[in-house]
Amino acid sequence: MNTLTVGERSIALDKDGYLVELSDWSDEVAAALAAHEELELTPEHWEVLTLLRAFYQEFELSPATRPLIKYTALKLGPEKGNSMHLNRLFKGTPAKLAAKLAGLPKPTNCI
Amino acid sequence: MAKSLLIISRQAPWAGPSAREALDIALAGGAFDLPLGMLFLDDGVFQLAPDQQPAQLQQKNLAANLQALPMFGVEELFVASSSLQERGLSAATLSLPVQALDDTALAALIDRFDQVITL
Amino acid sequence: MSTLHVISHSPFGDNRLSSCLRLLGSDDGLLLCGDAVYALQPGSAPLASLQASNLQGRLFALEEDLNARAISAGETTRAIDYPGFVALSLNYDKVNSWL
Repeated sequence: MNTLTVGERSIALDKDGYLVELSDWSDEVAAALAAHEELELTPEHWEVLTLLRAFYQEFELSPATRPLIKYTALKLGPEKGNSMHLNRLFKGTPAKLAAKLAGLPKPTNCI
Repeated sequence: MAKSLLIISRQAPWAGPSAREALDIALAGGAFDLPLGMLFLDDGVFQLAPDQQPAQLQQKNLAANLQALPMFGVEELFVASSSLQERGLSAATLSLPVQALDDTALAALIDRFDQVITL
Repeated sequence: MSTLHVISHSPFGDNRLSSCLRLLGSDDGLLLCGDAVYALQPGSAPLASLQASNLQGRLFALEEDLNARAISAGETTRAIDYPGFVALSLNYDKVNSWL
């Protein structure tokens, strides 16, 4: 089992590095997951992570790329809800990487 | 131009894997931008009943997942009026915005799609 | 566009057949295979509803499934073999399998 150490806590990850327990997530955990991916979270990243948490609350699944773009455009406007912006923030794989950092399960239906 | 596909979902939500499988086909197809429609027929209309509590059965919330269909680009959503009527359900209280069709309109709907699968 | 509907479940204790008949288009065909051929049981309610559905020339059943169950095709139904099934499906724009 993979683990992530955040402060005193040891957090279980699955083989792809996603949280096993969604409830383990916190801002610190997100930052630690991002550091693991050599990514520094900016307010623009946080905005998308918050959005993904809301998506999961609403639909109880992780979005593939298209629905992620659509949902972001709906909530944050088209200048953020487009593949260029999201690809730039999340190293070209926004659905997978952003879901991971937001503490969601790995999206299915995703290449 | 990709071929259009109509998915007919006709099993109750917790009867077995069929309802989930029909939804997975729709979500996968939608993620790849295929032109899709989904029709709820027979016991499939029970998937749209409001206020279900699947956690009681340790099941994932199919109704919540169904809400994601429009986000996945699946906006052509239909339900058979006769199936609703037989089961005492009203189109107005369903958990998803669907268009109710009578039997004649159902035949025309199936006709309009390039491919059909019934689960 | 015409559709060939394929049903393989028994009409007794399952409503695939009745639902299919409700939404069958006027150019559509219906093929019974597996336990669905029990719909042709003489004197049965499913047979009566098939006969009432005006399916002349567009109702088919798989011969080997009929023979295995000692059901005869009767006047309303054309019995076909597997090559006949393939040929038949090519006569329609699409095939809808009622899984």
